[in-house]
Amino acid sequence: MGLQTRTSLRRQEKASIWKGYLRMEQLVINLLNGISYGMVLFLIASGMSVVMGAMNITNLAHGVLYMIGGYVGWTVAVKFGASFWIGALAGGLAAGLVGMGIERGFLRFLYKQGNEQVLLTFGFVYILTNLSLWIWGGWPRMPFTAEFLSGSFGIMGRVYPKARMANIVIGSFMAVLLWWLQDRTRVGAMVRAGMDNKEMAMGLGINLERVFALVFFFASFIAGVAGVLGAQLMGVYNALGLDVLLLALIVIIVGGVGSVQGALLGGLLIGVIDAFGRALFPKFAMFTMYFTMIVILLVRPSGLLGRRV
Amino acid sequence: MMQRINRTIFNPYLLTIAILVVAPLLFSTYIQTVITRFLIFGLFALGYNLAFGYTGLLSLGHAAFFGAGGYTVAVLKLRYSSDLFWIGAPLGIVVATLIALVFGFVALRVSGVYFLLVTFALGQLLFSVAWNVKWLNSPGMQGISGLSLPSLGFGFNLGTTSFYYLVLLIFVICFFVLYHVVHSPFGRALAGIREGETRMQSLGYNTWLYKYLAFVISGIFAGVAGVLFGYYNYLISPTHLGVGTSFLPMVMTIIGGIGTLSGPVIGAALLIFVEHFASILTPDRWPLILGGMFVLAIMFTREGIGVYLWKLWNRVSNRYGSAHR
Repeated sequence: MGLQTRTSLRRQEKASIWKGYLRMEQLVINLLNGISYGMVLFLIASGMSVVMGAMNITNLAHGVLYMIGGYVGWTVAVKFGASFWIGALAGGLAAGLVGMGIERGFLRFLYKQGNEQVLLTFGFVYILTNLSLWIWGGWPRMPFTAEFLSGSFGIMGRVYPKARMANIVIGSFMAVLLWWLQDRTRVGAMVRAGMDNKEMAMGLGINLERVFALVFFFASFIAGVAGVLGAQLMGVYNALGLDVLLLALIVIIVGGVGSVQGALLGGLLIGVIDAFGRALFPKFAMFTMYFTMIVILLVRPSGLLGRRV
Repeated sequence: MMQRINRTIFNPYLLTIAILVVAPLLFSTYIQTVITRFLIFGLFALGYNLAFGYTGLLSLGHAAFFGAGGYTVAVLKLRYSSDLFWIGAPLGIVVATLIALVFGFVALRVSGVYFLLVTFALGQLLFSVAWNVKWLNSPGMQGISGLSLPSLGFGFNLGTTSFYYLVLLIFVICFFVLYHVVHSPFGRALAGIREGETRMQSLGYNTWLYKYLAFVISGIFAGVAGVLFGYYNYLISPTHLGVGTSFLPMVMTIIGGIGTLSGPVIGAALLIFVEHFASILTPDRWPLILGGMFVLAIMFTREGIGVYLWKLWNRVSNRYGSAHR
């Protein structure tokens, strides 16, 4: 090799890293990583975004619902040994019930007081996070996954974890399901009508209160299921409530409020940007997301697919 | 004549200041540190309320300015071995102001709930920076340790009691300034914006500018509180830039009363008081208690405890202070 100085060696290393990323397989791997992460982000953000658009409630406790789903799913799937899918269902139900409790027991009485509602949900972040700490303790739960989803399969000459692929598949399925619910069912139409003009919708005889309670429950349910799915990538730990909330907010700011499409676009975009950011600038991984958010705020504040702010 | 003398003696502001001034003579240094903590956070909440209560700007990222002030003081100690107050304080305030200028500009691109989300995200951004940038951390840990009370130069280091008086002095000055800001035409315009921004716009006010100024000014006060915190606390960590710390002035303001100037201060007193006891009895459950207090305050108190206290005060002083009803 001969005499080479440290800087020239480092420059060679960097050059080979960049050259590596121009190769197809690495690009595809990163893309898949981004999409699988983005799908989890989409699931997290979609519930929150629809509730924001339909009921004008910013549920800051949405991240905590995700975490509760993950914890309950862990308890059911790992501690009690039930199947992964039962765990996901249990997690979703737990989160859904807690969410419904918050909405029926507290938020309902603050109708029309938007600020107070938001703040209230944040109070619940503290309460629920501390209760979770009490119940499950502070140790993080390691990523856990379904039996037939563990291990990897080959793609373009490299191995890729099945769990991540499953996320992409499940996420796409959920995206289609949610889009169908939103755009092709009567319930979806009622929700959208309520979003656009509450009084008119109620005047047409739609029991918006019940529809919205259902929406809130469903959004919380999805958050809980997302918690179990995302646990394959991130595990479950006590600070998840705020971490996930931050992710959801960034996705919503980028993608726009109120629509499933916005959450999907925002989620995938952020997921892919994050994946490539981690690969290319490992030291600044976190900041690629913030950077994107700030750019969107300065250029198109209402988000890519959102209604005008 | 009797009425006027009685009114002055019963003036709640003067009474409180008098109590706070003689407190060190009556209480141990430990209690003095608790009161100092109350004053620092009271100042933080006071500034926060200018944006929140008076202008209607709900921010969840004010700890960014608070922590910025504290970190400036800490970095000065860590990297430049200086705890000179005359350098640390102005520098800390300048840094906090600059951050407020930038963050305010980005956040005010949106309004309402979006504004809340953006301020939250920006606060977490600063948290991330403090966590990751090595220069901002003591070796081997997160945050900066080994902070101390400030010196005033020529080897004159402040002790617990003298620092207490410094904080009290700064608090009183800031309260005075804020009082005049709130009762000035500027302050009234802010209240107008909170009540109806479009109405103010139709009257010809540049509401964006007013909101921006209110946000930046409240950030400056947060920075002052942060600087004092940097000297008060023996360590500063990224959590002091994050949402956990941003949440505190909000709780204090809601519990104490949004619409009044002294409300946040009363809320701060209550919070620090309860926190003190919780840290002795059930330190692990403090967030639960905090969240619970907050939820109760939102659900059941219409105007906050501060307003009730004021009404009580007025009733008492009317009974004993003067003849007219």
